[in-house]
Amino acid sequence: MAAITTPKQTNPTPELQTNHRKIAALISIVPGLGQLYNKQFLKGAIFFIVVLSYFLVNFDLFFKGAGNGPGDRGAIWGLITLGEVAGVRGDHSIFLMVEGIIALILLVFGIAIYVWNFIDAYRIGKLRDLKVEVPSLKMQLRNFRDNGFPYAMLIPSLVLLVFTVVLPLIFTFLIAFTNYKFNNSPPAKLVDWIGIQNFLNIFTVDIFRDTFVSVLGWTLVWTVASTTGVIAIGIGLAVLLNQKGLKGKRFFRSVLILSWAVPAFITILIFRSMFNETFGVFNTTLLPAIGLSGGVEWMTDPTYTRLALIGIQWWLGFPYIMTLTTGILQSIPEDLYEAATIDGATSGEKFRLITLPMILFATAPILITQYTFNFNNFNIIYLFNNGGPAVPGQSAGGTDILISWIYKLSLGSNPQYGFAAAITLVLSFFIMTIAVIQFKRSKSFKDEDMI
Amino acid sequence: MEMKKLVAGLSVSVMAIGALAACGGGTDSDSSSTKSDSGSKPDKIVIWEDTEKAETTKAAAKAFEEKEGVKVEVKEVKMTDQQKKVALDGPAGKGPDIILLPHDQIGTVVDQGLIAELKDGEKALEPFIDTAKSAVTFDGKVYGYPKAVETPILLFNKDELKEAPASMDDLYKLSTEQKKDGKYGFLALWDNFYFAHGPIAGYGGYVFKDNGGKLDPADIGLNNEGAVEGMDYIGKWYKEGLFPKGLIGGGGGQALDQLFGDKKAVAVMNGPWAVASYKEKGINLGASALPKLPNGEPIKTFVGVKTYAVSAYSENQEWAEKFLSTLTGEENAKTMFEKYNEIPPVTSLQEDAAIKDNEVAAAVFAQSKDGVPMPNIAEMGQVWEPMAAALQLVATDKQDAQKSADDAVKQIKQQIEANNQ
Repeated sequence: MAAITTPKQTNPTPELQTNHRKIAALISIVPGLGQLYNKQFLKGAIFFIVVLSYFLVNFDLFFKGAGNGPGDRGAIWGLITLGEVAGVRGDHSIFLMVEGIIALILLVFGIAIYVWNFIDAYRIGKLRDLKVEVPSLKMQLRNFRDNGFPYAMLIPSLVLLVFTVVLPLIFTFLIAFTNYKFNNSPPAKLVDWIGIQNFLNIFTVDIFRDTFVSVLGWTLVWTVASTTGVIAIGIGLAVLLNQKGLKGKRFFRSVLILSWAVPAFITILIFRSMFNETFGVFNTTLLPAIGLSGGVEWMTDPTYTRLALIGIQWWLGFPYIMTLTTGILQSIPEDLYEAATIDGATSGEKFRLITLPMILFATAPILITQYTFNFNNFNIIYLFNNGGPAVPGQSAGGTDILISWIYKLSLGSNPQYGFAAAITLVLSFFIMTIAVIQFKRSKSFKDEDMI
Repeated sequence: MEMKKLVAGLSVSVMAIGALAACGGGTDSDSSSTKSDSGSKPDKIVIWEDTEKAETTKAAAKAFEEKEGVKVEVKEVKMTDQQKKVALDGPAGKGPDIILLPHDQIGTVVDQGLIAELKDGEKALEPFIDTAKSAVTFDGKVYGYPKAVETPILLFNKDELKEAPASMDDLYKLSTEQKKDGKYGFLALWDNFYFAHGPIAGYGGYVFKDNGGKLDPADIGLNNEGAVEGMDYIGKWYKEGLFPKGLIGGGGGQALDQLFGDKKAVAVMNGPWAVASYKEKGINLGASALPKLPNGEPIKTFVGVKTYAVSAYSENQEWAEKFLSTLTGEENAKTMFEKYNEIPPVTSLQEDAAIKDNEVAAAVFAQSKDGVPMPNIAEMGQVWEPMAAALQLVATDKQDAQKSADDAVKQIKQQIEANNQ
């Protein structure tokens, strides 16, 4: 017999004479019954009621009422087929998809509860087999209060998170594999699964492919130039303002932080008027005042528009980095500098070898997010000149970055949701990969302590 | 002891399963709700009217209820939001019977299957001017009742210009004279295709060929001889410095409003929506239809028509249409104009004193008759960006008109193709 050939060690409880654990687990097919068998009546009742109400509430979702076609069809069917009957009184593919996703999430919850029901019955049954006292109701409640309380408090926010964050994420992900677009949208038409066609289109459709390289190039230049500038200015000013003996530190800090206090979109729109080629203050007053010609084509020459944009982003971004750095500077121990002074270090060396590493150690993750932020900084590009000026022979404007160009291509007046979702996924994947690599390399995630 | 409990537990479960089955059976019967017979009178019909413009409609609804015995519920929903809202509310069964939308959305809304063709379209359109008729016709079928028209006109400062100029050449002369004093004569946002369509179409360009009420997206006339001539004409104003470079690109509209408001420009091409803010700035405002182009043709501006359409989900389509024919009829249309300045495209109102004596309204009315309704097919969405790019290249003299127009048309065609894949 198998029992003889099997080494005894593999069976963790070989000497047990009763089989409560197995019976309890087995009859838990009806949820709560195993707990009942284990004489945990309240727990059993809770399990039973929870699972029963789960069924009562979700029965329709799973087995009936999906779509408007004939027959009883459940939400999972809806998710797989996305509907079979088009038209005003027919199936609505997008509703079906959302219902299907909700059903899937609920299914996962349901299975989790059901599995937990088995595990719990088995565990308590095993205690009985071991002749250990089964926790009384009082003990269960106390145990719950001591160990389960945090979980109980977290569950509502977890549920909320699932439906406000996870659900849209899954929805976007799934949309990328469909032919959902304005010309093909319910109720007039059904949406279909089309596999990875949207992803292939990114590289095969002419209007996209031809312009992709130049837009990607500018996007990278923009990201690096704008963010690096912001960081350099922010750190530089913070260090300057932290010099000992500087009078009116508070005043300077307050003034420099002002550009952060004004909402960014207002600043951008004001700059837009200031850069107006004929009437803007740059061309009419500021440039002539320093002896330059006032005819700079800020809005119609790509190079100048790009310079203007980078400058505006510097203006908008540096106060945040400056504030952040100021806080860190105050926490650098003074004795480090004293020791350096005794060793004969110059102030340049002190900055390079003490201040900068300390700042970067503490802020690296935030600086990385600054880069990803500017990579997708739609607002400034769109509000300043709508991605313009026009460039001969390409479908993107001279300052369009990937995100604003995708917006024009796929979410303008004739949206192609599937295509847009596919590009969004590709871009997110791209950014996440870079961010993860950078995060892993930055010291703040490696070392417990710098000093 | 244990056995007893087991039995008890089992029986509870069995009962539960029974209840479950009963519940499943129960929902079956009430899932198919009763549908009202379309022949009999409905309890009520629901209309979505634009926000803060609903008083006239409410009054008309009351009169309709007294006469016909059908209640009309007027809900205020912003016109620009209605398309998105009805796309969700309609299929969910909470939608209205009547929606209001700009006519250029008709094509996309019909493609989505959200609005229904009018049952007696030809008769319904009889009272309206031709431009409005073709605006609400899509693919040869009538989809709505025109409520109001909008189109750019010539707005001028009466202190500087006694009478409306007869031709664009007059405006050109005015601009060259003003330029000597560092001021501007006539200004327009002709790097924006919405405004630039006027001269382009005036010289013979067109967006999509109109084949008797059906627009052909394959036949684009934006790089034909006339269109290029029109773009050259546009370029002339920029190249000679009559339009400042500051009007190009982001913030151009703001600059134009400011120049006219500060009395640095004598005349502008703008829509009736700008009138209030110009008057606020103390301009002695005059208005007229746009003057004729040098080739003798009128400037064929884009005309927008606010349109009432019947939801495809409406179960009371006939009653909805009946209500709309009174709502857009002469009497209510006139109140709508007097109360909200909504200029009705009703032919018989053209000679009405209320409209004739209102300079702006008369100008819009006259200009609408020369204008072209904005194409209402979904492909129009692909035209704006490429044309704006082409116009900007011409205005900044970076590329000649023919090449810019060819590029734009090529790109429009590619985008339409990519969209239809």
